Amino acid sequence: MYVILVYDMKQQRVGRMLKLCRRYLHWIQNSVFEGEISEVKLAELLAKARTILKEEEDSVILFKSRTHQWLEKQVVGRERSPLDTIL
Amino acid sequence: MKKTYYLFNPGRLSRQDNTLKYTAYDEAGAEGQTRFLPIEDVADLYVFGALDANSALYNFLGKNGVSVHFFDYYEHYTGSFMAKEYLLAGRLQVAQTGHYTSLPKRLVLARKLVEGAAFNLLKNLRYYQSRGREVGAEIAQMELYVAALPHATTIAEIMGYEGNIRQTYYRCFEQLVRVPGFTFDKRSTQPPQNELNALLSFGNMLCYAACLSQIYHTQLNPTISFLHEPGSRRFSLALDMAEIFKPLLVDRTIFRLLNKKEIQPRDFVRELDGCLLKETGRKTFVRVFEERLKETIQHRRLNRTVSYQHLIKLECYKLTKHLLAMEEYQPFKAWW
Repeated sequence: MYVILVYDMKQQRVGRMLKLCRRYLHWIQNSVFEGEISEVKLAELLAKARTILKEEEDSVILFKSRTHQWLEKQVVGRERSPLDTIL
Repeated sequence: MKKTYYLFNPGRLSRQDNTLKYTAYDEAGAEGQTRFLPIEDVADLYVFGALDANSALYNFLGKNGVSVHFFDYYEHYTGSFMAKEYLLAGRLQVAQTGHYTSLPKRLVLARKLVEGAAFNLLKNLRYYQSRGREVGAEIAQMELYVAALPHATTIAEIMGYEGNIRQTYYRCFEQLVRVPGFTFDKRSTQPPQNELNALLSFGNMLCYAACLSQIYHTQLNPTISFLHEPGSRRFSLALDMAEIFKPLLVDRTIFRLLNKKEIQPRDFVRELDGCLLKETGRKTFVRVFEERLKETIQHRRLNRTVSYQHLIKLECYKLTKHLLAMEEYQPFKAWW
């Protein structure tokens, strides 16, 4: 499964969310991540996210797609972090 | 599926916030952009450039089952950091050793491995024969060697046939690659003497590392092999496995790269007495090789699509079954 994850957090919790997401997905810009992830790993990520966020104030939004091919990505301006695996 | 990361630029890899942080350096030593690699998405790392790392990082990689393969400046495979074995099976270990120590049992496996390799080599030649390249004589010659295989009574003899088959196969190379600037007289290594040899060495090494990574995810012991002699300090079972997949993964990749002119003479550097791929060439090669590993085919028996990478693992499973006397090993033969 290919996902795009965005979150909106109160400032004091945003750092923890960032660190958590970095372990599972690729950071592309502030509060936005994308990447290939399995159902189980996503459930794990969301379970951990729930321990961080306060449901009445923060939110995490997921856009799911079956595969990467079905997603057309367009970058306008500077690409802050490419997803290349050849570094 | 977890990804393989290839590190070409010099840089520092460190553990931060329970994930991986990679900071590239430029020639002056100034820090470049940092990238966080999600640890849950990393299958293994191939390190070609200079990499700074500390033991905290290796502890972390070990815990997450990520292996790191190292290659030196001359593109040789120099070794791996392998995470602690996580699939242990005493019974299989005993069976695997038993198959090595008993000559009749070992001969069976060694023969099958060469047979599989030869079949895939022939497949490559036949494909090009159907496109009007004159390789008929070599094919006939190779078939003679294959036919002689069942009569071999020692491992050395089988290795000899394997060598003969390959030598005959390499004689066709100039026929297959009709690109100016690329000639092939004979296979040479350490160092490779010309461009095609450099490509072969580089590709074989990637294939070897890919096989090792897959063996790691099975219960087989990578140090006990059947065709090659198990040496010390090397994972010789990966050499056995690579034998079967080299024609498909490496040779086909090379033909594509050259015939489509994706790699050109300017991607090489001639040094003292050898020929090496430049970084641009290496990157192109790795990119195409990676694509190849991810490419899928329809598997007849499993009735679903599998990637080439997964095929290597399936091959390990077949070997396991053979060792445990569950099902006789049939080497992988390309059927398309």
